[in-house]
Amino acid sequence: WQREEKQLEASLDALLSQVADLKNSLGSFIYKLENEYDRLTWPSVLDSFALLSGQLNTLNKVLKHEKTPLFRNQVIIPLVLSPDRDEDLMRQTEGRVPVFSHEVVPDHLRTKPDPEVEEQEKQLTTDAARIGADAAQKQIQSLNKMCSNLLEKISKEERESESGGLRPNKQTFNPADTNALVAAVAFGKGLSNWRPSGSSGPGQPGAGTILAGASGLQQVQMAGAPSQQQPMLSGVQMAQAGQPGKMPSGIKTNIKSASMHPYQR
Amino acid sequence: MEAPPVTMMPVTGGTINMMEYLLQGSVLDHSLESLIHRLRGLCDNMEPETFLDHEMVFLLKGQQASPFVLRARRSMDRAGAPWHLRYLGQPEMGDKNRHALVRNCVDIATSENLTDFLMEMGFRMDHEFVAKGHLFRKGIMKIMVYKIFRILVPGNTDSTEALSLSYLVELSVVAPAGQDVVSDDMRNFAEQLKPLVHLEKIDPKRLM
Repeated sequence: WQREEKQLEASLDALLSQVADLKNSLGSFIYKLENEYDRLTWPSVLDSFALLSGQLNTLNKVLKHEKTPLFRNQVIIPLVLSPDRDEDLMRQTEGRVPVFSHEVVPDHLRTKPDPEVEEQEKQLTTDAARIGADAAQKQIQSLNKMCSNLLEKISKEERESESGGLRPNKQTFNPADTNALVAAVAFGKGLSNWRPSGSSGPGQPGAGTILAGASGLQQVQMAGAPSQQQPMLSGVQMAQAGQPGKMPSGIKTNIKSASMHPYQR
Repeated sequence: MEAPPVTMMPVTGGTINMMEYLLQGSVLDHSLESLIHRLRGLCDNMEPETFLDHEMVFLLKGQQASPFVLRARRSMDRAGAPWHLRYLGQPEMGDKNRHALVRNCVDIATSENLTDFLMEMGFRMDHEFVAKGHLFRKGIMKIMVYKIFRILVPGNTDSTEALSLSYLVELSVVAPAGQDVVSDDMRNFAEQLKPLVHLEKIDPKRLM
């Protein structure tokens, strides 16, 4: 008798720890779903599922173990019902059940399904009993056939999408092209094949060999050395600013070159 | 007679301190259809828009280390559309927390004598190209998928030659400075285009 009680206690403990594990992983999975849904990856969801399924399996094993006494033979009787708040109960249920009253006890100590569910189950059992063995066999066979057909279709689809999945593995983009295109829009790399090779783009200061007649800027630069702080001033404007000297030649070149610009031809 | 002061730094301060956030990638010609298809699904429900533009890039070389660059763009397939003058600042890569390249930008619509005006100011044309492709929008994001054509005879946009066998894909947002959050949206959008196209922040300086 005492041994039996000990066994019951041990298996209850085992059960409790299994359920606690399950609860923890459920909790963390729910947390993940609620807080990390935006960066959650499918493999990690599958991992969580695998964990849960494994723990459920262990729980089942514990329940079915031969040393586990049949819990259904145990009777639980509520000794005291009280409408008052029970802090102990509150703590043990992690704040889920504040009172142990006549309202909640039927829910928590229920061992049978809801009356409606019980009714439905009964209905199903009588339905099943009414069909003859032959008819049942036939239904089973047709269901099996449908299932295998479906399975075949799904696996075929899978194979096809896998072979289709190989196609995207074929390159859809080329990083070298990306670089070439970005360089082209950024500073015209590879665009001006009519310019002498070796001419500079922006950002390569001082290396500019400029197509003859493309611009008179270099002359302006030299002539307009005092205008260091105002590089945007055109030659004409600099002349207006009253800087004598070599200026006029700069202006001349500028005007001439502007009218000769290749684009305007 | 004194010359009127010329505003040297048209982009700092004032009301026009806008930044362009940019991600770039490319797609090979044969995968263009798939990309267009996906973009039509992802983007705002609008009529598919195409464009054919001619862009000319002008330089003004001062004594500073780098020349001043302006881009003039005109539509070749929409007669009467205004020209587009654009200034782009130096791109900043930023750190890992910002998912897009950022550069200062100023966009202005202009009349068609823009090139003459720039020439008069002393700019010279550095290079030009033709861009032809598709435009999509999603909220404030703009997605451009276009092919770049080299212009064989300067100024003649009739004889062109494709630069590569790929289309350039650009995802951009123009927003006031400091709105780095938009780059998060851009990153999310770029994720959805994988593995078809990998949009990244590409530092053009690396490619010089």
